[in-house]
Amino acid sequence: MGSCWCKEKNEENDSYLPPQSPNGLQIHNVIQPVSPVSTQYSFKLSKVPDATYVDKLVLETLGVIASLVDNEQEPPSSMQLLHNIADNEDGWIQVVNSMINVIPMEDPLGPSVITLLLDDCPLPSKESVCKVVSMLNLSEEAAVLGQLDPPKQRNICVVLGCIAEKLAGPRNMEILNDDIIDYLLMNLDPSTDPSVVLFSLIALEKFAQTSSNKITITNKIKKLPISPVALLESWKEEKRYIQRQVGFCAQWILDNLFVMENREYSYKTIDMSTINAMLNTSDVSEYLKISPDGLEARCDAYSFESVRCTAQADKGAWYYEVLIITPGVMQIGWATKNSNFLNHEGYGIGDDRYSLAYDGCRKLIWYNAKSDPQNLPRWKSGDILGCLLDLDNQEIVFSLNGCSLPPCMHVFTMAKSGFFAAASFMSFQQCRFNFGAEPFVFPPNVAYSTFNDCGNLTAEEKIVLPRHIFLNQLREQNIGEDSCTLCYDQKATIRLLPCEHSGFCVTCAKQLVECPMCRSPFREIEEHYPPS
Amino acid sequence: MASLPRRIIKETQRLMQEPVPGISAVPDDSNARYFHVIVTGPEDSPFEGGLFKLELFLPEDYPMSAPKVRFITKIYHPNIDRLGRICLDILKDKWSPALQIRTVLLSIQALLSAPNPDDPLANDVAELWKVNESEAIRNAKEWTRRYAMDN
Repeated sequence: MGSCWCKEKNEENDSYLPPQSPNGLQIHNVIQPVSPVSTQYSFKLSKVPDATYVDKLVLETLGVIASLVDNEQEPPSSMQLLHNIADNEDGWIQVVNSMINVIPMEDPLGPSVITLLLDDCPLPSKESVCKVVSMLNLSEEAAVLGQLDPPKQRNICVVLGCIAEKLAGPRNMEILNDDIIDYLLMNLDPSTDPSVVLFSLIALEKFAQTSSNKITITNKIKKLPISPVALLESWKEEKRYIQRQVGFCAQWILDNLFVMENREYSYKTIDMSTINAMLNTSDVSEYLKISPDGLEARCDAYSFESVRCTAQADKGAWYYEVLIITPGVMQIGWATKNSNFLNHEGYGIGDDRYSLAYDGCRKLIWYNAKSDPQNLPRWKSGDILGCLLDLDNQEIVFSLNGCSLPPCMHVFTMAKSGFFAAASFMSFQQCRFNFGAEPFVFPPNVAYSTFNDCGNLTAEEKIVLPRHIFLNQLREQNIGEDSCTLCYDQKATIRLLPCEHSGFCVTCAKQLVECPMCRSPFREIEEHYPPS
Repeated sequence: MASLPRRIIKETQRLMQEPVPGISAVPDDSNARYFHVIVTGPEDSPFEGGLFKLELFLPEDYPMSAPKVRFITKIYHPNIDRLGRICLDILKDKWSPALQIRTVLLSIQALLSAPNPDDPLANDVAELWKVNESEAIRNAKEWTRRYAMDN
């Protein structure tokens, strides 16, 4: 996404080896010099970092991050300092505490920055995590008292979610005790600040990624007179945008995680009769959440998640609108099928030559991972982004609340047809698409088509199946033993010569440079092997 | 996500049917490309008795490119750095699409049995491993006890 700070995080994750990174992203490819073993190893020698200083660094990082737009740019020095501080146990604990104490509620990037910083810091030990958790002193009472200080509670919940995600597995099981579950469930009371409700739900969701936790939490919920999650689901129609996010997450959780026996899956009850175009559940990166009607999407993962719509534009003018629900970083626009979703590398719509997008948080138009600043106010919840694609005149015009940006042409040197509505989402971002099933708020003054008028979907294609049901169906597939041993998609019909290793299909064989079995270079491929 | 390659489905089915001894690899409930992995420290290694948590992710072009694997439990090892990144040839230039999740995890387990300080990722650890192996092993045991054991 050209947004280095997401990407740069993923560099950390994805380039496991320092010296040979393919691109110019220097900083994190090189493993920073480590302190001598003595200081690394003995925690007693390390100095306890000064809280005020760390607080300042956290705020500085938060401030700088929204202005980082260049891939080649170094991450802010405050962030590097925080990493160094977090490299010892007391330091890590202080960084977490500072984030909890100083990140303000109103900054749209606050929760994303907590996630980013924690994900990027050196691994904490189980002891540090437990220490942080016990210092927070969470309980039902803490949730009630916490109502006086919503920003802090919100940040605690974001941190808990990160801990759950980062330490998924048995550690996570030990960390999630009754008090934490009680705290999080108590926070779901509708009288709590809605931001706290939202991130409590997300933390519960992340803890429930391990099946034993899922069972523990489900059992706790069952013992309550009424499921707080079920109660919150009704908020999905809310006009207030934070409540609406709560409703979206509650519904997703009920469909995907804490499934209740007496509740029908949303996809079974939703009326899809007027919908002929939607977000494509077969053309989306793994973690994006799509609403049962296929028109609303949300990301709660730390990766940069992307999606395309079902219908395609080949000629003429096309228009769709997006209701901005969260004011953070999203890149919304147009993409062909050649645009790749590299969610873990931090690349999305607008980050290659086959897509173009607007990010109204940083006020940038993105093409080929390069950004172009725009003179508009930062978008906010409730704003309408208009996306007009004119294939005859080869221009794309974005508008915010009816106010148009200058037309963009760059993408048409690579493609003149085959465009889809498409978007990428940073963590905790959400928006709703209107492909024409509803009247537009700011229709453009030119003749245009809509995907909903021209789209065509079978009843089956309209189903947004909960992921666990979908994956189970996939896993039950029977895969033939005569399949290609590399992809299992096609029959194995190829033998490599001279080494004579076989078991591959034509498609895979074409991608090989050496034999996968013996690593010897091969001269030719022999088809129709074994002979039938 | 709907376009989940059958290769991944097949490998997942096999991992469930015939698990690898000493290694657990469980696919995420909602992401079929992400596996929660636990490797037990091999016997007669400084990591014996430890349970090491890793994450394994199958990238878009898997199996033409290698899985991304990272330790989540802290470990004192010359080929694993403080972010949990692993220096292992089959995860980079020696990757072959005929290798699998299973073989990758076995190789990582083998790396725990046979650290290679001449091809280091954690330079300070490798240095100590070369100049004072017994102290390095002591550190590795201590880290195992501290970070990878329950008590």
